[in-house]
Amino acid sequence: MRCPDRRLAAAWLLALAAPLASAADPEAVRAELLARERDRHPAASPQDLAAGSAAFDPARAEEASRNRPAPGAAEAVEAGKRLWTRKFANGRSLAGCFPNGGRGIAAAYPQYDPRVKRLVSLETAINQCLKTHGQPLMDADDPATMGAVLAYVRSLAEGRKVAVRATTAAARDRFEEGQRLYFTRMGQRNLACATCHVNHSGRIYGNAAIPSPIGAAVQWPHFRDGRPASLQVRIRECLGRMGAAPFPAGSEEITHLEFFLAYLSNGLAVRANAWRPPP
Amino acid sequence: MRRAFPLLAASAALAAAGAWGQAASGLALFIDPARGNCIACHQVPEGAGPAVRANVGPRLDAARLAGWDRARLRALLDDPMRANPDTVMPPFGRHRILDPAEIERLIDYLHALP
Repeated sequence: MRCPDRRLAAAWLLALAAPLASAADPEAVRAELLARERDRHPAASPQDLAAGSAAFDPARAEEASRNRPAPGAAEAVEAGKRLWTRKFANGRSLAGCFPNGGRGIAAAYPQYDPRVKRLVSLETAINQCLKTHGQPLMDADDPATMGAVLAYVRSLAEGRKVAVRATTAAARDRFEEGQRLYFTRMGQRNLACATCHVNHSGRIYGNAAIPSPIGAAVQWPHFRDGRPASLQVRIRECLGRMGAAPFPAGSEEITHLEFFLAYLSNGLAVRANAWRPPP
Repeated sequence: MRRAFPLLAASAALAAAGAWGQAASGLALFIDPARGNCIACHQVPEGAGPAVRANVGPRLDAARLAGWDRARLRALLDDPMRANPDTVMPPFGRHRILDPAEIERLIDYLHALP
């Protein structure tokens, strides 16, 4: 059962050593993981890796290509647009809460907000707007409301390069916390996200290739059975499969993990609303 | 798991569900996603279980298991991290994913592989 790749030890050392360092260096972590993935999969560019399982599986890639655009995506984007532009009683709207009506903003989330000293996910930003205007909040897991809005707002960033920033010490701390969670074994099956996605990316687990950590934040929301699922939804599903009680929707832990993954996708073009097979 | 032999899968599912009060067989534990789920990572020889593409762990057959006596397999299944801190294999015994009797039946199954 020895791991075929001894360099994984380096990744674990990296993970263990990083919290001890006085200041996390997200760029160094990203470069290290990019280099590992380049060594493991020399034929795949980082943007290729963003295709998830399909990056390693020609049959899955063919299926994904047949399902482009993903069934259900156009309807969800349309429904999301209606929710985004709907006028509240005070005449404002979700679109009015964001610069340029929300065009392109999705590529920069999650982001650290120094005013509230927290990471803010796109979902949180949307709900903050609703709260400000006295509107009922959306359930982060609900495909019909938050899922549709995400599908629309992410479509407004189609082709933009992911640009998540961790330039301040506080934001770097959040990245480091996301990294720590990503490399921490948890749950009954005693797996860390990294145990599979870093050490075994591209290998077949069940009937699907294990996606790379690089590009994981590019294609969401994913459409499965015609319904959108956000990156946070997907992370929580994975935690469930690991035999861990998933961190609650919208929790700091989930947002830290999303921030870490989004940072690893920096520079890659958003390709929202991609097809995935049914869960 | 869609490529599983339908009969094999059905009988395994029944066994895993404890139908007729029977204990889950080693094969049932090997392929049940909620129990061993070994098949998600390991292939086995044709006829010994479902045909899968999984390759996270090594293909398991008599040759691969040469030298793996019961004690060694028992220790591995209890907690594979003792032998390899980086392993992806779950600690079936230590985390009580399988009970001791189930681990013995899994070992029976592994030792019967051609």
